[in-house]
Amino acid sequence: MKLSLQSLLNVEGNGYGLLNVRIFGWILYGLTRRGILVPSQILAQMIRIGVQALPMASLVALSVGFILAMQSSTELGKLGADSFIPDLVSLSLMRELGPLLIAIIVVGRSGSAVAAEIGTMKVNEEIEALRVMAIPPIRYLVIPRYIALMIMLPCLTIFGNCIGLAGGWAVCAGTLGMSTSFYIMHAVQRPEVWDLYSGLIKSVVFAHILITIACYQGLNVEGGAEGVGRATTASVVYSILWIIIADALLTGLFYFVL
Amino acid sequence: MNSAKPKPTPPGEVILEVKDLVQIYGKRPVLNGISFQVRKGETFVIMGGSGCGKTTLLRNLIGAQRPTSGSIHLFGEDITKISPQDLDRIRLRFGMNFQFGALFQSMTVGENIALPLQEHSQVDPSLIEMVVKMKLELVGLTGFENFKPTELSGGMRKRVGLARALALDPELVFSDEPTSGLDPVMTAVVDQLTLDSTRKIGVTAVVVSHDMTSCFRIATRLLMLGSGPRQGEVVAEGTPEEMKINPDPFLQQFLRGEADGPIPFRLSQDDYLKHLLGDG
Repeated sequence: MKLSLQSLLNVEGNGYGLLNVRIFGWILYGLTRRGILVPSQILAQMIRIGVQALPMASLVALSVGFILAMQSSTELGKLGADSFIPDLVSLSLMRELGPLLIAIIVVGRSGSAVAAEIGTMKVNEEIEALRVMAIPPIRYLVIPRYIALMIMLPCLTIFGNCIGLAGGWAVCAGTLGMSTSFYIMHAVQRPEVWDLYSGLIKSVVFAHILITIACYQGLNVEGGAEGVGRATTASVVYSILWIIIADALLTGLFYFVL
Repeated sequence: MNSAKPKPTPPGEVILEVKDLVQIYGKRPVLNGISFQVRKGETFVIMGGSGCGKTTLLRNLIGAQRPTSGSIHLFGEDITKISPQDLDRIRLRFGMNFQFGALFQSMTVGENIALPLQEHSQVDPSLIEMVVKMKLELVGLTGFENFKPTELSGGMRKRVGLARALALDPELVFSDEPTSGLDPVMTAVVDQLTLDSTRKIGVTAVVVSHDMTSCFRIATRLLMLGSGPRQGEVVAEGTPEEMKINPDPFLQQFLRGEADGPIPFRLSQDDYLKHLLGDG
């Protein structure tokens, strides 16, 4: 097991599929051996690519909460169904908008930063230096970022959902005269646990797409500063593209199958 | 990372042996049947003009790329054929000083030097801190532990690169253009550091350079790679004294730094015609 796993980790090649295999291989290897998954490195990345994205994610989530409540009040008000606004805000955020928008914010803020950072390291021969020092770049650079984002994106999504609900409450309480207890009761009671889980499953899948594309683009930079720029742009464009495609597929899966 | 520490190579034994090394990019041979040996304790300098394949040769020697054919025996093992795990085991026995330092910009000088120790030894952090200070003292940069690489001059960065390459007390150090872009005083300082590491610590050095003054100051043996019609071939090999009296016109033109001679600075008539007509 150990030997074959080590061989797998060292297979030569730069493909995206191979990067995924190596990431899972290193995580499995790290679970069986000390010193591979370094908590301090993971924590540092959680702060850099997760915690520091909180202000931006909060602002977006709050705005989405406002928008959802205001837009729905226009139509639902005509039907006299204002009381369903908290339900709509809550369900939309948990199932769809929370995971998707937070992921897109993190792509723009942290995904691009990871691609640029690793790409610059490649251009400056820092990745080559790691290899020559017998330090595998995937284990040292990619794994801490991967684990950090796999933990932080779902956390940011839950946090964003709460902030979005607060935005919805501000509109309902401020302009529609809805009581806070009524808003909370509807916003919390209407969604089922699966609604929350489906959103979190999406955010985990989005985190995987986001960080693997960012690291792949960074590790494969060619051509100096121009190459770093190209990789950063490609990282953002491909991440958003595949996140939206994955969202459609997962939504279809949850809708038709589960 | 690896349990048993390998037995050091005895003085005078062959530490690096390159045989018939060929590297072809597309249809163009960059290295064309290179063979040489480096013995423990030597300072072996590989020199040659721009584009002669010095860096390609060095990348082959450190296992960063595989040659088209030929063999490279490093510490007795052919690194062109071994697995990546075995290559990593061998890499722990040598250090590499990159041309531009290749220092980790996000880390301090101290963290750069400490990294190989943290990754490959089980020693206490306080001991690592002490080793970092000793390595910095060795390269004359005491007190610079907390500086970022961007806060250092080019010469200082090269010295930190050397300190990092020496962090694990390797038997062999490769240096890529250690003095390029430095003023004469700083060049002499870096040369003195190379001499100190080879003579005082007993490290074997393989240095790639085109700085003639520096080459002859530090080398115990030199090898010149050819360019143009002799692209990627060994033009001459020997001690500094042997090289000075070697009548090879390529070597003599290079040593004298003359523009006119067999080393071409533009394509031959035939090659130019081919290039113009789109065949080259």
